[in-house]
Amino acid sequence: MSRLRNSRLGTFVGRQESVLLLILLAYGLLVGTVNPTFYKLDNLFQIIRASAGTMILAMGALVVLASGGIDVSFTAVAIFGGYATVRIMMASGIDNILFAFALSGIFGMVLGATNALVIHRFRLQTLIATLGTQSIFVGVMTLIFGTKFVPVGDMPDSIVWFGTEPMLTLTMPGGAARLTWFVVPMILMIVLTWFLLNRTLIGRTVYAMGSSREATERAGAALWKTQAFIYMYVGMLAGFMGIVYTAHVRSLNPISLVGDELFVIAAVVLGGAKLTGGVGTVSGTVLGVLIITTLQTTLILIGLSSSWMRFFVGGILLISVSIMAIRTNRENLRNLIFHSE
Amino acid sequence: MGSGPAYAGPEPLFQEGRLMAGRYVLQVKGLSKAFPGVQALDQVNMSVGFGEVHCLVGENGSGKSTLIRSVSGSQGFDSGSIVLNGNEYTHLSARQAMNEGVQVIYQDLSLFPHLTVAENIAFNWMVRDDVRLIRPKEIAARAKDALIQLRENLDLTGPVKNLSMAQKQIVAISRALVLDAKIIFMDEPTTALTRYEIDSLFRIIHELREKGIATVFVSHKLDEVFRESDNITVIRDGKKIGDFTTDSLDEETLAYHMTGRTILYTPYEYTADANRQTPVLEVRNLTREPHFRDLNLSVCAGEIVGITGPLGAGRTEFALSLFGLNPPDSGEILVDGIPRTIPTPVAAINAGIALVPEDRHVQGLHQKNAIRENLVAGVLDEVTKWGLLDSDAAESVANSWFEQLSVKAVSPEVSVGTLSGGNQQRVVIGKWLATRPRLLILDGPTVGIDVASKSTIHEIVHELARQGMAIIIISDEIPEVYKNSNRIIVMYDGVFIHETNREDIDQEGLRTIVEQGVPA
Repeated sequence: MSRLRNSRLGTFVGRQESVLLLILLAYGLLVGTVNPTFYKLDNLFQIIRASAGTMILAMGALVVLASGGIDVSFTAVAIFGGYATVRIMMASGIDNILFAFALSGIFGMVLGATNALVIHRFRLQTLIATLGTQSIFVGVMTLIFGTKFVPVGDMPDSIVWFGTEPMLTLTMPGGAARLTWFVVPMILMIVLTWFLLNRTLIGRTVYAMGSSREATERAGAALWKTQAFIYMYVGMLAGFMGIVYTAHVRSLNPISLVGDELFVIAAVVLGGAKLTGGVGTVSGTVLGVLIITTLQTTLILIGLSSSWMRFFVGGILLISVSIMAIRTNRENLRNLIFHSE
Repeated sequence: MGSGPAYAGPEPLFQEGRLMAGRYVLQVKGLSKAFPGVQALDQVNMSVGFGEVHCLVGENGSGKSTLIRSVSGSQGFDSGSIVLNGNEYTHLSARQAMNEGVQVIYQDLSLFPHLTVAENIAFNWMVRDDVRLIRPKEIAARAKDALIQLRENLDLTGPVKNLSMAQKQIVAISRALVLDAKIIFMDEPTTALTRYEIDSLFRIIHELREKGIATVFVSHKLDEVFRESDNITVIRDGKKIGDFTTDSLDEETLAYHMTGRTILYTPYEYTADANRQTPVLEVRNLTREPHFRDLNLSVCAGEIVGITGPLGAGRTEFALSLFGLNPPDSGEILVDGIPRTIPTPVAAINAGIALVPEDRHVQGLHQKNAIRENLVAGVLDEVTKWGLLDSDAAESVANSWFEQLSVKAVSPEVSVGTLSGGNQQRVVIGKWLATRPRLLILDGPTVGIDVASKSTIHEIVHELARQGMAIIIISDEIPEVYKNSNRIIVMYDGVFIHETNREDIDQEGLRTIVEQGVPA
């Protein structure tokens, strides 16, 4: 928990975040050495733009993982929110970016509530439940709103504006640096997630639940309330992401996005969260997402095709998670503990 | 029944000058609770005074847990009432019980391993008072305050998973203090503690008593906690057998009250074979730093060697070394006179060594699987053909052990998790016997098993030894080691400090050596 960060060097080295930060810096150095044009503010802004959507989804995934669950339906929720909202805006003529976020967020919360209900009511494993709802969400969306591709020309103006117009333009030697509006929802959601997880009872209950469900119940916490919060919050974030994504690509294919959820979960795990729950930080998740999107956007700068991206993401994930696992195992063996928690 | 001396009630420690109604923090009056087919509680009465240290004793399934669940409001009762601080309840909710200061510390402690010490201490309070926004300083202050009350000091910002068992217990007790506990139930609190840690637990309980907070231990063994308590309540089959003062009971009377019958302890007799055989196991100068050093031991066929000593003496670590889970730094292990290196459990099994581990729940059994599957888990290569399970072979192996060890279950297809502790332990023993070991090591063979089942486990072990198996029993219960071994070794701080035949020592002499850590 970042508020309890201890400044001693020993704990700094032991933290997943510091390892990630080093990886990120080392990679930045490598790219910059191969291709000096990398050191431009505009490139940094591009990375932020490219990571905004994943970042928002990752915040949601972090909350679910911390609670000991796993959600694979959030990409379906995002595309549902984005596509439904765009179709409704096109049909109704309401053309306002705040309206888009609000509507998509509400869609997301409703779908998230469905997840929570299914998980809690039937006591299902979260992975199984959300695998099921992922298909259902996509199915319901295409049944109601069709599968028509929305080209740039049909896209509501406010969304196109949100995706193209910079919030801030800095004139720099060697070209202007444009900061996207995406940075606003991204930062807001990072801060909000940090605050909820670290400064509220419900957030601590999420971690408590991921640590020990039984103890949480014995403490008198209402697990269904926590579940409802978790999945509705994830849904809302996914809804917001649906709009960011739509603005990013500016055209909308209702069968896109689903399938990328494992990338997002990988980023969160890379950031130090555990699939067994109770562990994971906002700062780690931010770094995890930044590493993955930096790879995504910069491989081309060092002369590698983007096909290498998946290879590198997988490699980094395996290596960093293995290092942590080996460290834990060694410690357990030293203490003669033969089962993992 | 009820043959103990007349019970005059606890001496009230705090009566006047306090806002406490009466002398009792808790009175249970005629409490009854039935489950389908079982009368779990039948007209039970019990009283606990302010600041009293009380023991609640009974076999598994005697109704102890039902009583605690009723008093803590997590389960209803059919008739009777519960009086807390003078307020009488015929229905008690968990919230009401908590507000009256009832706290239960379960054996698993119900902590959150990944949260910090401060958060663990404060979490239940936050939930109770619905403290929605967290101020880390306030949480730290509350946690600190509780620790100061116990005169303990812990790093508030470290995660609880890095703490020792004793420290975790301190966290659990602190949590109860933050919730203004007036009576704390502790379920088997000393099971996982070292001698030193038990002493410090007593000190904490003393602090609680000073504050007028009552402690109720739930236990079924007559251990140190017993001697620290003022009064004992014994229940059996849902009925209260009686209240006793601690000094009026010894172990045998207590066992009688708990089980309703006299349990005969037949000590194990070993007659050495005249033509001295090669020992099944011989250990020479075995060392594994920092766990143990220079251990020498030999165990012959038909012998039961008991190893005792305080928790943390290195007993379990030694057993793990013999079983390939804690490879020694130096020294020799000989099985039937042949030097062996045992780097893995598979090597141990091949050498004819089996280990019944201390923690049978996690290490000994596949809880969700059937008894049959557990029984053949150690001999899978014998019950498979071409990599496929030969279910006839598996069934016959399983059935034979199921019957020989008289596991009490409807059939071998029942899942192990549903069995009582004693029956689970029989399954673990059966699983290892199926590997036909020459040497059987039992680490804490009756931990958490009630008196009656204990003696049947011991009988099984005696019979195995008579048939020619070499056996090592590791236990911190001195009577268990004393009565079931023909030779006894006391381990202290990683060293064997004393070795003796049973005939040459009495139980009290043995206890003295264990407690003082020096040979008599």
